[in-house]
Amino acid sequence: MFKDAKRRAVFGVTLLLLAGLAYAISRQLHFPTGKIELDTALSQLPYYAAYSLMRMLTAYFLSLLFSIFYGYIAATVPKAEGPMIAVLDVLQSVPILGFFPVAVFFFVNLFRGSQFGVEVASIVLIFTSMSWNMAFSTYESFKAIPNDLVEAADGLGVRGWLKFKKALFPICIPRLIYNSMMSWAGGWYFLIACEIIAIGSIRYHLPGLGSFLIESVESGEVWRTFYGLFVLILMIVLLDLFVWRPLSVWGEKFKYEFTTTATVPSTSFALQWYRRLRVARRWGRIKEIIGKPARALNPRRYFLPAGERLAQETRERVWIPLRRGLGYLLVGGIFLLIGWSFFLLIEGLAKPLPPEAGRIPGALLASFLRLGIAYLLALAWTVPVAFWVGENPRAFRIVTPIAEIGASIPATALFPFFILLAVHVLGGMNAAAVLLILTGMQWYLLFNLIGGVQNIPGDLKEAAKALGVSKWLYWRRLYLPAVFPALVTGSITAWGGGWNALIVSEYVVYRRETYAVNGIGAMLDRATYEAGDKQMMLLALITMVIAITLLNRFFWRKLYLYAVERYKIDY
Amino acid sequence: MDLLEVEKVSKVFNQNGVPMPVLKEISFRVQEGEFIALVGPSGSGKSTLLRILNGLIPPTEGRVLYRGKALHSVNLDSAMVFQSFALFPWLTVLGNVELGLEARGFPIEARRKKAIQFIEKVGLDGFEEAYPRELSGGMKQRVGIARALAVEPKLLCMDEPFSALDPLTSLALREEVLMLWEDKSMPVNTIIMVTHIIEEAVFMADRVLVLSTHPGTLVADIPINVARPRDRKDPVLNEYSDRIFSLMA
Repeated sequence: MFKDAKRRAVFGVTLLLLAGLAYAISRQLHFPTGKIELDTALSQLPYYAAYSLMRMLTAYFLSLLFSIFYGYIAATVPKAEGPMIAVLDVLQSVPILGFFPVAVFFFVNLFRGSQFGVEVASIVLIFTSMSWNMAFSTYESFKAIPNDLVEAADGLGVRGWLKFKKALFPICIPRLIYNSMMSWAGGWYFLIACEIIAIGSIRYHLPGLGSFLIESVESGEVWRTFYGLFVLILMIVLLDLFVWRPLSVWGEKFKYEFTTTATVPSTSFALQWYRRLRVARRWGRIKEIIGKPARALNPRRYFLPAGERLAQETRERVWIPLRRGLGYLLVGGIFLLIGWSFFLLIEGLAKPLPPEAGRIPGALLASFLRLGIAYLLALAWTVPVAFWVGENPRAFRIVTPIAEIGASIPATALFPFFILLAVHVLGGMNAAAVLLILTGMQWYLLFNLIGGVQNIPGDLKEAAKALGVSKWLYWRRLYLPAVFPALVTGSITAWGGGWNALIVSEYVVYRRETYAVNGIGAMLDRATYEAGDKQMMLLALITMVIAITLLNRFFWRKLYLYAVERYKIDY
Repeated sequence: MDLLEVEKVSKVFNQNGVPMPVLKEISFRVQEGEFIALVGPSGSGKSTLLRILNGLIPPTEGRVLYRGKALHSVNLDSAMVFQSFALFPWLTVLGNVELGLEARGFPIEARRKKAIQFIEKVGLDGFEEAYPRELSGGMKQRVGIARALAVEPKLLCMDEPFSALDPLTSLALREEVLMLWEDKSMPVNTIIMVTHIIEEAVFMADRVLVLSTHPGTLVADIPINVARPRDRKDPVLNEYSDRIFSLMA
């Protein structure tokens, strides 16, 4: 009970902290001027692709380091666990794109209006889109290390770095790879988004595929847009085939299980190639050659046993108080930050509310309805398709690769087309906004549902068929209840994606004209890009975060618990 | 001097803030060269006791002396064999057996040679590069035993080492463990084994320590005065088993 209350407190404080920080950062900043021109010549395309990829890689390696570090500390330091996980919880449910304008302001000003600031901001944004699920996965993996393994390592006297490297870290690898793939896919979405986001009347362009796409659409060179899209998809597919697939097959050897289940081993032709390469076979030798000088530098080599003991004593005597001191310093710093942001928050909100503030509830409702419609549309096509795919192995073989490629195209890359559609065909932004949101929601649902259908035990299906159950009854009694938990998990992630998509879907600039609808996302955009109204920006952001948090706490989480309790199939 | 002295060891676990006594004032001595079996019903804390003897977990009260010195951390002169084998699935057989040697700072050639020697000792030559998932249960436990023996411990602690194996495999492995224990070329000469199979304890051990449950206390210390090699069907062993069974029931 007490633990729960503490968790909730930390959760609330983190929310406050984020909002306050966002406000504090944006408070006194102004729009820097300057425009970076972008050349949409086709010959520039490889260069843009390389640029985008570099951005992704930088953000990914930062996320990787962060998630291992964060997950390990949260899993091994009992006092830190509760707060750290609560913080992660908040960060995961916050719509990251909402903070992007703030981040751009901050970094652009920090680097005095240079492009480097935008670059850093985009990497930070991609990092924030990649890290949280990876950190959760390492945390949960470290927590789930079988006690026997830890005792085996301890009993053998395995300590320190060796213990981490050989006994603890490998357990994270399968889930870390899986989550890396998810994060990588999500990263593209945000990468493209932040490359095409325009700030006010001044547009910052990062050289990259996203900028290329939007710029070529705006200059009316649609065929170039197709080239850009083609390069993007090609890159995503190649990376999947030559990096992620082999990695995930390789990662299976790190799974820990008591019983050996007879499953078809997954394969990757690329991994087989790599294994055939001489480099792989000579890896041990290479490591030795590189490692030898490094080992010579290891001070432990020169310690006598007594020296080793002395070193350990020093470590205990110095390191433990030092660590405690650092802990206190950290806690103190956090409290100072909380106080500061709270102060700023009060200051920011204490001003008389602007007249637009009264329109916030209406805008929130409009956005919510848009999300709801997009969600229903997504459900309407994913549920039958998932059923069909799950029931027919042939359909599975056909649909899966198509869906995988479809899902791997970051929805934001399609935005230029949707804008064209909205402006020239649909004639209104409302329909386009719903479509844009849909692209941010549907794949989560589809993949979770397909997974759910495939997990229905075969004997249950056979039992239902043997009982002569009609098609309708089969749906009602078996299919829907069995996939319900997967549906709920899929819905939670889909709504998370949807909230993010709001910010780029409701407010679009095309050929210097703004197309916007009434909604909370548009309100946030307008406050940042047009009016530069920090108070409104803060209000919109807070409203959104609170709405999401409340919805998660009081609806999705309850539904999830219910689904797991009532419909989970386990024997 | 005794190899191991256990002095009034008690252990209390905290379960949701409620103290749960698991072991209460357990004292006994182990001489070098002995084979001790710890038996008791489930919940008697015998696995906990084994981990205290090995120094993996500290006792709440009392102390354990190894060669006259109180244990404060893991006893690196002992090694552990687990019911679940506790092999690292991402390391090969060789990698698993080498791990303890690596921790002790053996250079790569020396530890490879030693590890291979012990892999041969348990009859797994040719499987050095195999991963644990490719092995049968009996082979996995052989790797577990090789890994424990490779660090050349004096004392071997075994936690229900044969419980996860099929009956035939466990019969064979018992004999092999006895052979390794009697093998004079091996440094290991003292074994403490936890088991819930009374026949196994009586067949293998010099002394059987019987634990009662909630909290675990030492109720009997029974020397098995039967010459080796023993016959599983020996009626004398049966009498011992019956006696221990009546103590536990």
